[in-house]
Amino acid sequence: MHEQAFRFGSARHLVGIMGLPPVIDHGVGVILLNAGMVYRIGPFRLHVDLARRLNALGYPTLRFDQSTIGDSGAGGKLLARPEQVVADVGEAMDLLHQQTGCRRFVLFGLCSGAQNAHSVAHADPRVVGAFFLDGYGHRTLGQRLRHYLPRLVKASVWKQWLTRKRAASGPRPPEPAFVVEPLPGKVVGSQLADMLGRGLKLDFVYSGGVSRYFNHVRQFRECFGRLADHAGVSVSYFQETDHTYVLSGDRQRLLDHVAQWMTRHFPATRPG
Amino acid sequence: MKARIEADLPFYFGPGRELFGFYHPAPALGGTAVLLCPPLGAEQIRCHRLYRQLANGLAESGFPVLRFDYYGTGDSAGGSREVDWTRCVADVATAATELRARSGAQRLLAFGARLGANAALLATEAVLAGVIAWDAIVDGAALIRELDRMQDALKVDLNRFDQARPDLDVRMQWQGFETTERLREQLGRVGLPAPGSRIAWLLSLESDEGGRQATWQGRSVESIEVTPHWNDIDRLEMAILSHPLIDAVKRRVQEMA
Repeated sequence: MHEQAFRFGSARHLVGIMGLPPVIDHGVGVILLNAGMVYRIGPFRLHVDLARRLNALGYPTLRFDQSTIGDSGAGGKLLARPEQVVADVGEAMDLLHQQTGCRRFVLFGLCSGAQNAHSVAHADPRVVGAFFLDGYGHRTLGQRLRHYLPRLVKASVWKQWLTRKRAASGPRPPEPAFVVEPLPGKVVGSQLADMLGRGLKLDFVYSGGVSRYFNHVRQFRECFGRLADHAGVSVSYFQETDHTYVLSGDRQRLLDHVAQWMTRHFPATRPG
Repeated sequence: MKARIEADLPFYFGPGRELFGFYHPAPALGGTAVLLCPPLGAEQIRCHRLYRQLANGLAESGFPVLRFDYYGTGDSAGGSREVDWTRCVADVATAATELRARSGAQRLLAFGARLGANAALLATEAVLAGVIAWDAIVDGAALIRELDRMQDALKVDLNRFDQARPDLDVRMQWQGFETTERLREQLGRVGLPAPGSRIAWLLSLESDEGGRQATWQGRSVESIEVTPHWNDIDRLEMAILSHPLIDAVKRRVQEMA
């Protein structure tokens, strides 16, 4: 393992860990964004495992805390949150460039991390690819039919509903703070089209944990139409997996998926 | 405040630079520094913000602080399957040596939550002048039963999974982290040392133990309001926060310094 800790950024307010492969010769670095409010190691250390896997394949990585998350402080400039995100990730790219020579970057974001990765990928020309995990998508007629129809005919669902109703154990605790605020589908689609027009490679991974708004791989087409056919787009639906990849086997499957996608789209000529 | 945050330093240390640490400098007015020993597994992530707040508060009060991650946890080297309890205790000693060198402090106190408290207590005699223990593990075997029970509940949690997961998918894991027979066996033997004058005991005020105050297995304890609880499986990804805890630890550190 060759990892270095950095305090960086214009106000030295950001904290991150850079992971380096033994040899860097292809110029693509990977930046891992915070998932919700979880600090840079990621849910159940997902980002640590992923960064080290990518380092072994020859890719430099930076997992860092955005302003006011984890160990990072405020930037000191009065920026709206979206602009602050773009500025923070921009400074992360500057650091990775200074330390490794990388000029092109792939972003990895889960949930609000996917939302932030989307904003940065749209705004910064240095981004050449992105993983959006449980990112943008919206409910469609197909999603509702797939969700409700099987439940109408399933006795166990009715039984469970009745049991819950009888138990009346009080209100369910609030959902964890892993929620992507909806953005109009047309805006998202337009921005994705811009990114693809610039040659970006985009990987969309949805989990069974967000079946409330996404529940089948073909829903991407229902949401974004012909963008689904673009050569730069790949879409996966991991139905059995939860939103934060709590099981190690699910995380391993995700790591395999990311490694294969990176190798296919940004092959390292001399893997670490 | 800003100037002090800028001075906080993330770095790697120890043999082979395998351990990650975060040093919060302060003048060490009374010659005392504080080592923060994290809990393990999901609890370590849930406590990250609280530990950072505590470190900032202690540094502002004049105590240099070192936060760190055991081998196989957090930003330190090693995988989750390599977490070893004996190594965790040894890492406390390594971190204490690092803190002493960086701060120049003559005396070191430690704070730990859950197994972090136990790790600090095991290292007490050799390297620490005192320990503030929050919800230390009294019975390691009971802890394992509880972690197993939570994992069983996770398996069939239909708020998390589309459908219940088979045993094979969840075995040898505790709430997001792989475990090993070795670690289970090691943690099964964890318990508390005899009461000592250099130990301050803090205990979360659980809702079902509302009246418990004053004494705990013969020890003098202070009860603290904390949310959410350690074993709340519905809030596994939520941070555990408590300003009363931070205030209590700062007060105890000042008393013991």
